[in-house]
Amino acid sequence: MTDLLVVTGLRAGYGRAVVLSDISFRLGAGEAMAVLGRNGVGKTTLVDSIVGVTRRFDGSLVLEGRELAPLAPEQRAALGLGWVPQERNIFRSLTVEENLTAVARPGPWTLDRLYGFFPRLKERRANSGGALSGGEQQMLAIARALATNPKLLLLDEPTEGLAPIIVEELLSALARLVRSEGLAALIVEQHAHKILPITRSTLILERGRIVHQGPSDELLAEPARLEKFLGVSAR
Amino acid sequence: MPSATLLGQALISGVLAGGMYGLLAMGLSLSWGLLRLVNLSHFALAFLSAYIVYELGTKYGVAPWWSAAMVVPLMFAVGASQYWLFDRFRVNELASLLITFSFAVIVEAGIQIYWTADYRRFETHYATESIKAGPFFIPVLDLTMCIVASVLAWGTWMWLRKTYVGKGLRAAAEDADIAAAYGVDHRKLAYILSGIGAAYAGIAGTFIALIATLAPAQIWAWLGVVFAVVIIGRLGNPMGALLAGMLIGASESLAMAVLSPAWAPVVSFSVLIVILLWDPEWL
Repeated sequence: MTDLLVVTGLRAGYGRAVVLSDISFRLGAGEAMAVLGRNGVGKTTLVDSIVGVTRRFDGSLVLEGRELAPLAPEQRAALGLGWVPQERNIFRSLTVEENLTAVARPGPWTLDRLYGFFPRLKERRANSGGALSGGEQQMLAIARALATNPKLLLLDEPTEGLAPIIVEELLSALARLVRSEGLAALIVEQHAHKILPITRSTLILERGRIVHQGPSDELLAEPARLEKFLGVSAR
Repeated sequence: MPSATLLGQALISGVLAGGMYGLLAMGLSLSWGLLRLVNLSHFALAFLSAYIVYELGTKYGVAPWWSAAMVVPLMFAVGASQYWLFDRFRVNELASLLITFSFAVIVEAGIQIYWTADYRRFETHYATESIKAGPFFIPVLDLTMCIVASVLAWGTWMWLRKTYVGKGLRAAAEDADIAAAYGVDHRKLAYILSGIGAAYAGIAGTFIALIATLAPAQIWAWLGVVFAVVIIGRLGNPMGALLAGMLIGASESLAMAVLSPAWAPVVSFSVLIVILLWDPEWL
């Protein structure tokens, strides 16, 4: 399997604070990876560091052979990173369709295909982003990232704060994306049992460091181990 | 109470004069709403353009439309250069107000040095032409200006809604960091918008040269009312700016006809206060 993203010795944080230390991992083409860990261990910082909105102290991030470290967020985005931030941050004053077309880049994810994937967004295409429900905003955030036709999708707690029925809908959409579409993804999640079945590999963080790396199905088969790393949140 | 004909004529003149408020407000509104830069030098650039059109017309006999063809690209370049400065020195909203105010004062002084403080008037045959519609007279020049302003407002409005650049600018105005993370290069787009805003000052200036009497201090004459128009029309909304301009122009003109000219600013700023209190979300 060829490597899509290779992170080596990454040390990063915000301002003077170092949040992540000695982060090294490889993500293969078409691979979906779960990033697990308790609250405040640096999961979001990891995603933000790949996107380029944190301060990097050391280490390298290589996407398809290109070093990302010296590049600004917009340059990284152009190389194929599709970000779904934790707060969703959709453009509230733009319509659903404008949210998608404002950032669209040529590729297989056309507007029609996005609407096919998320029919509810098509129904609400003319509504402003601010008028959407939480679940719809999350769908829009994912669709907006897909509209950039990314090579790697970065999802930061996509199910957080959503009603259970919406969570199921989103997870099945994510499963289709990574399984049927073969899109590479890095998915930060609090709830291991939801995301392990969808992903191929897992990364567990503790206090800014990687404490476990391995196939997701192995972890799923060993609840005790998962419990050790994650405590109650594993259930 | 004045006659219906007088009121009708006041309404027509007011709407047409309001077209100038709208035209001046558009560039200011775009820069304020989408770049978060309050560009007071917009007025100075409009008057500088007016003086250039006047100079070319009176000294070299250049038709105003040809002068506009020179002034508008020149102003685009000035606007883009201004953005370079703002970007280079990371100027924020408040600082932009002070810096562009200073810039306007400098341009005013420059105009005074070159053209003196005397009143100047560019006499053309356009200024006296008018169409008669029933009992009303419609000045051709004012009508042309309003048509140009309407086309620009509508075109800009569509541009902001339909093009990649326009949508990118709106997305970046809402959240520049997030837009950047989706590949929207806000700075590149901002150069274009800053240039367009200043180019509109060039177009407004051309009409100012033809319609108004020029004096350096006139730069500040429309400041207050155009600010009100920008805010009533919603920041960053060119159609709003034009319609608000016409609304204020009409209400001022009616106040002058019914009461006295001294009432004009009372009416326009009362409209501003009422609208702000009524719907503060507009800001």
